[in-house]
Amino acid sequence: MLIRLVASRIVISLFSLLVVSWAIFWAVEWLPGDTAARVLGREASAESVRVLRARLHLADPPLVRYGHWLEHFVQGDWGESLAADRPVVRYVFPRLRNTLILAGLALGLYLILSLTIGVVTALFHGQVLDTWLSVLTLVGMSMPEFVVGILLVLVFAVAVPLFPPLALMDQVKTFPGLLYTLSLPILTLTAAMTAYAVRMMRDNLIEVLESDYVQMATLKGLPRVRVVLRHALPNALGPALNVTALNIAWLMGGVVVVETVFNFPGLGRLLVDSISFHDVPVIEAIAVVLASVYMLANLVADVLVLVLNPRLRAS
Amino acid sequence: MLAWFPEWPLSALIAGSILVLHGVIALTGPMWAPYSPTKILVGQPFASPSTAHLLGTDNLGRDVFSRVVYGERTVLTLSLSATGLGVLCGASLGLVTGYARGWLDEVVMRIIDIMISIPPLILALLVISALGSSPLLLVLTVAFFYVPRVARVVRAATLRVVMEDFVTIARARGESAWSIAHKELLPNVIGTVLVEFAIRSGYAVIFIGSMGFLGFGPPPPTPEWGLMVNQGREYIVTAPWAVVAPAVGIASLVVPLNLFTDGMARLLGQSVPWERH
Repeated sequence: MLIRLVASRIVISLFSLLVVSWAIFWAVEWLPGDTAARVLGREASAESVRVLRARLHLADPPLVRYGHWLEHFVQGDWGESLAADRPVVRYVFPRLRNTLILAGLALGLYLILSLTIGVVTALFHGQVLDTWLSVLTLVGMSMPEFVVGILLVLVFAVAVPLFPPLALMDQVKTFPGLLYTLSLPILTLTAAMTAYAVRMMRDNLIEVLESDYVQMATLKGLPRVRVVLRHALPNALGPALNVTALNIAWLMGGVVVVETVFNFPGLGRLLVDSISFHDVPVIEAIAVVLASVYMLANLVADVLVLVLNPRLRAS
Repeated sequence: MLAWFPEWPLSALIAGSILVLHGVIALTGPMWAPYSPTKILVGQPFASPSTAHLLGTDNLGRDVFSRVVYGERTVLTLSLSATGLGVLCGASLGLVTGYARGWLDEVVMRIIDIMISIPPLILALLVISALGSSPLLLVLTVAFFYVPRVARVVRAATLRVVMEDFVTIARARGESAWSIAHKELLPNVIGTVLVEFAIRSGYAVIFIGSMGFLGFGPPPPTPEWGLMVNQGREYIVTAPWAVVAPAVGIASLVVPLNLFTDGMARLLGQSVPWERH
């Protein structure tokens, strides 16, 4: 039963990915203006526009072009960047690496913070600190990333110049230097993810803490710390994994905004820039990469819920 | 309604009053805002806050206070109409599929699964850049992302109600589907729909603000908060007020909105479907 459900989720995800890649292809094809004319500029001769149109297969029917594009894409041939006149793969990968560094560091900090805060909330459940944390997480969840980012810049880069306001990667030589340069974007991404995770984990922990077996452990006279760490926490870890998968999916949109706030040379920033340069192959490649990770993370979250909560398998 | 008040948590009451204030500003703002939001050089560029310009002026000498006040209407109109449309269509779809069940339900749910797995921000960026940034398109895009999410939640709530005896009895009495829907089902799922609307309004403000910040919202010189933050970013050292004012505007709208939703959901006995928007 479980295997069948998981398999159907995977099939749906694969099909969705196909639909989304198709939607991406269509949306990009619809970008206003003729791609060939736009790339070559206003002074281009009719002849050179015609040649480029032929090279890009712009005259073929859209469905044929989608087929072509998909075939090449899965083979790792992502075409030539129109703006940079280089293979998209070589253009996109350094940016992908940067985004992975940023997202990876943010995820690391997020894991440490949310686990610590999660345990603290559980230990102090029902006390003043818990109430404050609950309000704080709600505020954290309610703030758009660009507002958090810009306020951090104002406080920690303009008012008190502790950290750089822009995350420029080309001057980074060492790991501490990397952390210093990326401190504000990391904090921005971490704040949103942690607030969400703590909120979710807290609700779950409270439920676990009120369950019979935890009450039993308390009545046996076990110390509070032991009850929380050994009895309650292991049961809250499943939902925490699920929340983390959802957070990773969220990161795919979050990096677009946060990289823009800090002029960080990552995938998200490149996507926004490429849209204004009309760089069709690059837009398609980045959108498909981000969408795939988003969907994969959501799939993992869905499967985790099914595996961890047998009650849901019936429906 | 008034009899509820003692039960509302204090935080939700305070949040509610702030929301009313936002509503009043959106409705009446243009009547008392001191300057036009788009007129340039109503003061010196980068003038710091003073009695003439309460929140200073931006790089073009536009009055930041007036822009923030007018922006309230832009932000609320866009997010509330997007949420309203999305929740209306989604709730109807959820009600119908939850009541009908069978093959229709199966088919719609599979389509909904696919729609939900689409990454909203990325697709919205592509759609808006392909078809041009018009406020209407932005509203339709956001509503499009809400329909499947709302439908799924409302369908689940409907399924729980349909199992109840009073629906079976109504069916046995031979009442029409329409009468059952609005007399038996709707009163029982309206709480769910309200919570969905409240929580998604907040997401819509964030989403539309982010689109504006990325340059895919209403075009300049429209006074939209996300766009204002982005434009002020360049001059953040010379004129921080031009960034702080719209940023605080958004925060002071979404935070109370979510606090209010949290309180309302608890009163209605609903769990809040917090999501990663």
